Amino acid sequence: MSGRGSGIALRFPDVLRRRPQLLWLLVPYVLYLGALPLVNRVHPVIFGLPFLFVWLLGATLLTPVAVWLTRRGDRR
Amino acid sequence: MADPAGGPPVNATVATSVFGVFMVATVALGLLATRGRRKGNGEGGGLAEWSVGGRSLGTVFIWVLMAGEGYTSFSYLGAAGWGYNYGAPVLYVVAYMSCGYAIGYVVGPMLWAYARKHGLVGITDMVAHRFGRPWLGALVAVLATVFLLPYIQLQITGMGVVVSTISYGAISLNWAYFIAFAVTTGFVVVSGLRGSAWVSVLKDILVIATLGFLAFYVPMHYFDGYGPFLDRLVTEKSEWLTFPGHGDSGLGQAWFITTSFLNSLTVVIFPTTVAGYLGASSADVLRRNAMLLPAYNVLLFVPMLLGMAALFVVPGLVGAESNLALFQLVVDSLPAWAVGVVGVAAALSSIVPMAVFMLVIGTMWGRSVLSLVPRWERRQKGAAQVVVVAAGSLALLLTYTAPNTLVRLSLISYEGMAQLLPMVLLGLMWRRLTLLGAMSGLVVGVGVVCGFVFTENDPVWGVNAGIVALGANLAVALAVTYAGPRERDDRPDDEVLARDEIGAPEQAAELDGAPVGTGH
Repeated sequence: MSGRGSGIALRFPDVLRRRPQLLWLLVPYVLYLGALPLVNRVHPVIFGLPFLFVWLLGATLLTPVAVWLTRRGDRR
Repeated sequence: MADPAGGPPVNATVATSVFGVFMVATVALGLLATRGRRKGNGEGGGLAEWSVGGRSLGTVFIWVLMAGEGYTSFSYLGAAGWGYNYGAPVLYVVAYMSCGYAIGYVVGPMLWAYARKHGLVGITDMVAHRFGRPWLGALVAVLATVFLLPYIQLQITGMGVVVSTISYGAISLNWAYFIAFAVTTGFVVVSGLRGSAWVSVLKDILVIATLGFLAFYVPMHYFDGYGPFLDRLVTEKSEWLTFPGHGDSGLGQAWFITTSFLNSLTVVIFPTTVAGYLGASSADVLRRNAMLLPAYNVLLFVPMLLGMAALFVVPGLVGAESNLALFQLVVDSLPAWAVGVVGVAAALSSIVPMAVFMLVIGTMWGRSVLSLVPRWERRQKGAAQVVVVAAGSLALLLTYTAPNTLVRLSLISYEGMAQLLPMVLLGLMWRRLTLLGAMSGLVVGVGVVCGFVFTENDPVWGVNAGIVALGANLAVALAVTYAGPRERDDRPDDEVLARDEIGAPEQAAELDGAPVGTGH
């Protein structure tokens, strides 16, 4: 019977097996959120900027790269 | 510091004229956007043309439109104000928008394909289609309207404060509120999402130019350059530079992480974001944008840094005054015409999101609520346009008469909207989720949000109250789904669920080659 859908528990790993590149999309979560306890500091100051800001600015610049890597995987 | 109202009259005239010219240009640009679209295709001028631009916008338009929605008057006022009051916690805006844009890479194309396949124009008719219940669409529309209306008011008041300040007081607050409403309604009723996208182009040019300029000018003017400015910041204001920021904000790391996480999920199903998704001409436009949009967030660092610069220049701002931290610097240090231009950029940052908010409310009601009334069923676009004016007027009226009502409501807006996540996102991916389960979860989630927020317990235990509510929401939705009966729905999975079908026929659209360089 078609109305009985397969569970999400089955579908998620399935998608990731077909498109493992989607894991790149977790990079911004790791950089902004996961790493936060390690980077919540003023020093070392880099180019005058406090370290936390340098880190978050870096995360902002690396997010497009992470999405680009996903897209590159998808286009293969 | 020069009192904004105390400048010479000629300043007021110059700045107000610059502002006035740009506002007329805005309405004209918005109206011109639909020129030539009426004729040509047979069904032109329908609800889908108005609500989602006929699903025909390319990479550049979607980029400016979605960047335009994300960059609201909050970015000029609130971001600088938070930077001034607390410091680092304001960076949650950058964090959640970047993460949200990234997962939009998957969710955007999924929702786009679903809507296109079934001829849908927003999340309300998506859930109505998913669960096969038209009334559910109406219910979600009403709920979402309650959460969106405060945003319209925030944009109206935000723009009012800016306009009043940059006109050196020549335009009173009440008039400024009305101008915000009139300019926005002036084009969005006629030209819908396409008009908003065109106005966004003007807005982005001005925002990028003015913030880019201010980022260099302010440190030079007040501190003899970046080096001395940052030195003073690091030595004198280091409390602002890490979590939990300055003062007794309660905005620590746990709050930052939970809020950014929750908002990054919410933003992808936020009705205005979805309007942007559905306007795209292909799923690949959205994937390309997921890559390009996070770069725009670099701009958000500017008002925040300028807010902290204001700590040295105009110390002692308290309460709502701190929202004007950035504009105090602008009015104090720039000639009148430049003040006018910065004001226009900030005003457009209110107008574009406000236009999309009103458009989305109109669309939801035209498609999902009023269409239940037989005589409105065939005139959905007309109904939607009437609702746009009604919603805008209501927000304006409440701004004048009961400003605090909507301010209170705005506290639950984002966290309330987050409670739609299980019904919309999980529902579209998981067939087993039942209507009863999704509804029970939604009721519990919204209840918990209201409970925490209205008793002033947000953040609660150091974390965002919305995420606690979402946890309860999800648990109830799953429990009721598994405990309750399976739903009888004979439609196949392909009819009901959404998929991000990569490598589908849309690849043909990629023949035009390399990603478009939008030069930000």
